[in-house]
Amino acid sequence: MRALGHLSQEQIVFGLAVLLCIGFAIALPGFLTTNNLLNLVRSVSILGMLGVAMGLVVIGRGIDLSLVALMAVSVAWTLQLVANGVPLHQAVAMGLAFSLVTGTITGCLVAYVEIPAIFATLAMGTLIYGFGRYFLLRLDVVYMPEAARHLLWLGQGTIYGVPVPIFVFAGVCLMGYLFLRYTRAGHYLRAVGDNLLAARITGIPARPVIVMQYVLSSLIGFMAGMVTAASVASMNTRVAISTYVYDVILVVVLGGIGLSGGKGGIRNVIVGTLLIGVLLNGMTIMDIQYTVQNVIKGIILLTAIVIDTIVNPRDEQTAQQGDI
Amino acid sequence: MSLSDTMTRWRYRAVPDHLVGEILTKRWVDNAIPMLILLAVLAVFGSLIPDFFGSASVTNLARQWGEFGLIVIALMIVMVAGGIDLSVGSTFALGNIVALALISVAEWSVPAVVATTVMCGAAVGLVNGLLVGYLRLRAFLTTLVTLIIVRAIVDMLLLKYSVSIAAAFPDSDLWYFFGEGFLLGAPFSVVVIVTIAVIIHLVLSRSRAGWHILAVGGSRRSAHNVGIPVRRVICSTYVVSGILASLAGVLFASRLGGAGADTGIGLEIAALTAAVLGGNSLGGGRGSAAKAVIGSITVMIIVNSLVRLGVTSGANSLLLGIVLLAAVAIDVRWLKNRHKVLSKVYVSPTYADLPPAPPTSGASPYALNDRLRPVELIGLGRIDGPEDVILDDDDNIYVGDRTGDIVRFFAPDYKRQEVFAHTGGRPLGMAFAKDGSLLVCIGGMGLYRVTMDRRIERLTDETNRSWLSIIDDSRLRLADDLDIALDGRVFFSEATIRYEMHDWPVDCLESRGNGRIVCFDPNTGSTRTVLKNLVFPNGICMTHDGQSFLFAETWGCRISRYWFDGPKKGTVEPVISDLPGYPDNINRASDGTYWVALVGMRTPSVDLAMKMPGFRKRMARRIAPDEWLYPNINTGCVIRFDENGRIIETLWDFGGENHPMITSMREHKGHLYIGGIFNNRIGKLKLDGMDESWTGQTSYWGRT
Amino acid sequence: MRLITTTLLATAVTLCAGAAFAQGIDDPTREPYYSAFEGKRVAYIPVAMGFDLTEGWAAGLKEALEPLGMTIDIRDPNWSTDAGAQAITSLISEKPDVIVVHNPDVQSYARLLRRAEEAGIYVVQVNMRSSYSTDAFIGADYVGMGQRIGERLVEVCSPANGGSGKVAITQGVLTAAASVYQMQGIQNVLSQHDDIQIVSNQAADWDGTKAKNIAATVIQQHPDLCAITGFWDVMDVGTAAAIKESGKDVYLLTQGGGNQMACDGLANGTYSEVVVYHVPGQARDMATMIKHLIQQGQPAGTTKTTLFTPLDFVTKDNMTPASCWSLPGLN
Repeated sequence: MRALGHLSQEQIVFGLAVLLCIGFAIALPGFLTTNNLLNLVRSVSILGMLGVAMGLVVIGRGIDLSLVALMAVSVAWTLQLVANGVPLHQAVAMGLAFSLVTGTITGCLVAYVEIPAIFATLAMGTLIYGFGRYFLLRLDVVYMPEAARHLLWLGQGTIYGVPVPIFVFAGVCLMGYLFLRYTRAGHYLRAVGDNLLAARITGIPARPVIVMQYVLSSLIGFMAGMVTAASVASMNTRVAISTYVYDVILVVVLGGIGLSGGKGGIRNVIVGTLLIGVLLNGMTIMDIQYTVQNVIKGIILLTAIVIDTIVNPRDEQTAQQGDI
Repeated sequence: MSLSDTMTRWRYRAVPDHLVGEILTKRWVDNAIPMLILLAVLAVFGSLIPDFFGSASVTNLARQWGEFGLIVIALMIVMVAGGIDLSVGSTFALGNIVALALISVAEWSVPAVVATTVMCGAAVGLVNGLLVGYLRLRAFLTTLVTLIIVRAIVDMLLLKYSVSIAAAFPDSDLWYFFGEGFLLGAPFSVVVIVTIAVIIHLVLSRSRAGWHILAVGGSRRSAHNVGIPVRRVICSTYVVSGILASLAGVLFASRLGGAGADTGIGLEIAALTAAVLGGNSLGGGRGSAAKAVIGSITVMIIVNSLVRLGVTSGANSLLLGIVLLAAVAIDVRWLKNRHKVLSKVYVSPTYADLPPAPPTSGASPYALNDRLRPVELIGLGRIDGPEDVILDDDDNIYVGDRTGDIVRFFAPDYKRQEVFAHTGGRPLGMAFAKDGSLLVCIGGMGLYRVTMDRRIERLTDETNRSWLSIIDDSRLRLADDLDIALDGRVFFSEATIRYEMHDWPVDCLESRGNGRIVCFDPNTGSTRTVLKNLVFPNGICMTHDGQSFLFAETWGCRISRYWFDGPKKGTVEPVISDLPGYPDNINRASDGTYWVALVGMRTPSVDLAMKMPGFRKRMARRIAPDEWLYPNINTGCVIRFDENGRIIETLWDFGGENHPMITSMREHKGHLYIGGIFNNRIGKLKLDGMDESWTGQTSYWGRT
Repeated sequence: MRLITTTLLATAVTLCAGAAFAQGIDDPTREPYYSAFEGKRVAYIPVAMGFDLTEGWAAGLKEALEPLGMTIDIRDPNWSTDAGAQAITSLISEKPDVIVVHNPDVQSYARLLRRAEEAGIYVVQVNMRSSYSTDAFIGADYVGMGQRIGERLVEVCSPANGGSGKVAITQGVLTAAASVYQMQGIQNVLSQHDDIQIVSNQAADWDGTKAKNIAATVIQQHPDLCAITGFWDVMDVGTAAAIKESGKDVYLLTQGGGNQMACDGLANGTYSEVVVYHVPGQARDMATMIKHLIQQGQPAGTTKTTLFTPLDFVTKDNMTPASCWSLPGLN
């Protein structure tokens, strides 16, 4: 345990992923082919993008449980608009605007009304889904209409044999990295996540920074949603009330971004995504039932949290009140 | 009195403003907002849905509420301890499938099924509890993961057993009774939840285990530091939560008997909404079974009614989301602002019209003089705030001080002092009992006795509660001065029931009859309130007839006489009703008259403000307490008067150098000993022409 | 007032009837037919609104029954069995004339449906049946459907017919009644054909994205995969995307209610074959059963009727404009 204490969770998870890779490569024929590896990354690239969105919020000591709902509803509405005859670029702009406005509202609820992020976003997720279903959409599943066909490239096209979603994922990661590393707003975000009170005292506009987290997350969420819609030529809004958002949190926490904020970066998201990708890919190849996959996934997440707690312990003296 | 004065007076007599603040101090006021929401929801849906209050409709709703309510209570217990349990929905589903599999496939008996299912729930709770409690994982994430894992286990069980469950119809009347039967005219599940809610309520409010849970939720760190086993307590809340959730699963199984894949999905959100809507706070420390019940009924009605109204799927989620948001927002705002609101509205002045103050110049008996100038100072700078002064048979001085000690100065020169006893409260009025022990009114504690061998005994710290009082007036907040009747009964004043010791000057801003006089009877050990609604009753002194006592009402500027025995028993008679200042302690003088201390003098501005309650209210709301207009309590005097209210003499310290403020005085062997609650000294004044052998003890108990 | 109105109406009807006699013979069943339906209430409880099947049934029922003066009440539990159970429970006390129910599973509503019948309400079940048989069931024969799908797979993929023999199955939710029965049917057939190998049998939770990921991986693993059968066309949009991406020629056999989208998918090559249980037909069957039950006027639960919906195996070749339908007012 002492030796492990020197390792960060990111390193542990990365090691685990590599071990699994080696194991699968030996045990499963066809695992270590270029095609399968590309497929592996492609299959988790959307999850990874959402992970980047969630990661940014979590680094700022928030959490965004409305991410998936907002993604589903805004993209579904975009498709619906195109189907109703609105020009594609205009529909995309409207969908994006809807997404950003909703993200701002969520951010304001957290920053100004001071509702704990968990509950604000939980409620917003339900609310957004309900709003979408009641006012914007009539069916659960909205198909990609003929007029939006060239969006399909985003999800199904390839560049030099590499699927486009992988490029989008890489792009989002790069942007996220640059944002956190080189922009003032990125530094502010990390400062707010690390210690809100200290950040406020030093003059950082804490509340606007918190709002910004959720706007960013809704922006990346919308991009991930467009890729999702393009890759399956439809958008299923029921994903909003599924447990998908928990998978996203899994990726983030697994990679080693502490939920108490301020720690971690985009690399952690990539590592977490990688482990999940390897795991899912391997389990699918082994034809493990979906329910069993969930149990395995859950246990691995639990292990990651336990390790995190042991490596970064909290105790009664340092635990913050109401810090659940 | 002008017409507007009369109107103001009636306005403040008729409207009990002070109740608003008092209601806000009650813990149950937290339930008022949820209760209002519940009533609103009832009104809205009751009018929208025909036959909403019909017996069939109510019965159906109640039966379903039984299951949902259990889940909300489960979640509430965890939340009260500062955690959260998102796995309740999955545990509920697990309870459902396990119960069904055992009763339909394994064909166990009903008690065995219930026991085993509940064990399963407890096991899930134990896993959560070990992880969150002992390993100190984050509750939200951990239970999120157990939610996923338990859900997956449920899915696996479903896969294996759903077809056989579907094929079997369990052959047990008891089982169907769970799901469809009535007990005492109520659906079975309702009986279950009411029983459990009552038990949980009793545990949380009246048992050690419950207090531990609340303490951990209130402040985990403090709970840990006072030695509460925080980890075990947290673990146990999750176990209870698991048990209750699986019990709800059993009830659900017996009602529907269906192993649906969607059982319990999203239930945690609904339960969370209900718990928060009921007023259980998110960080812990605030929660009760009643809150859970109110919240669960509200959410139950909303969800059920929306389905019955036939609105489309979206509206349901939309409304639930809005309700959850609003509930949390109100909760957060309420927690943050409640004490602000309270501090603004608690002070509620009323109309007080004092008779014109007599002059303190010229031929007035109150005329200024400098007779306190030759006061000899005892313990200067070595005593902090001697409110009352008393001397024993050996001429030693006893005074209480601000740090809670009773200090004894030794005769004859009073250079030497010692802590006679440490009380822990604020010792105020004192009197020697017949047996020689010292009876003390201790602010914040009650009436105590200190024996000569320094044992401190509590005589009483509570009295009978008035039925109509909103704040709990059974506890003694500010016992002030006492005196002892010949038969040993102790009469003591409690200055105010609305303020604690350190806020006593604020009571003047109200000038309402907040105080009372209480009688403790050592023969029966009982404590009864004898006079109520007095304006800051303060000094008490037995008259020489043994049937009555004099008492001073400080902000009322009057001295009255109350007969507790004899032909005039129970009547109050004014003695002096227009003092120029605020009277404090009263004590006997050697010639059969009485001494009274005026703690401060009236001023025209404060007298005017007393007639303008609106002005004082605005003052209390808008400006900082340090800036408030307080009565003068810095300059006072000592007055001697007789039973008819005639003023015999007045002793002033004109320059205010030796005795800036006076709250008490005690005549002893031809000297007057003077105390003041904000003074750092005791004054000793030689009296001319008074009996040099007279002491209080001889006057009261006839000893020499 | 009402009495006067009624009298006036009655007089008017008599007069009209008298006038009718002058021109021809009135159909004697007309008047009882129409009066039988006037003011009758039908309550419809799907597992959720918002997808083609349930919206199609609702539209069909409304179209057929509302002109007769009946009212259709939709109670939408939105995928919650418990909410559905609450809806049925409260309906039992509200006493509509007919309850149309779409069961999420075979057991949950069984006792409630029996109680509804005992309360004198006709119960019609659609597409997914409960273990308790009520007045009528209209829907696909899932075991039979599974068998026919199995046979199609054998036909397409058997090495004897030039296929590789490898097939993959993408279910919805494993525990859904439709999945369980259908798997039974498929197994019945495939167990007799050793040359067909099921290389993957996964559940995608009715979610296109999951279906796509599963299909993509399986195709990677088995480049010679012959066919994938999915349990819902809406979900299999994802499967189709995976096949298209891989560039392989995999036979995609899916199923659904025959929404226009399915035919579009066949036309543009998204699907290879779709098993259609025609939703408007099911709606019409339901409406017919409801009319039948109301006209018969026998106590609820007296008769038990099952109407299996005819299944169409539609391919690009045998597709006609009538193979699919579109929901009015929907895209």
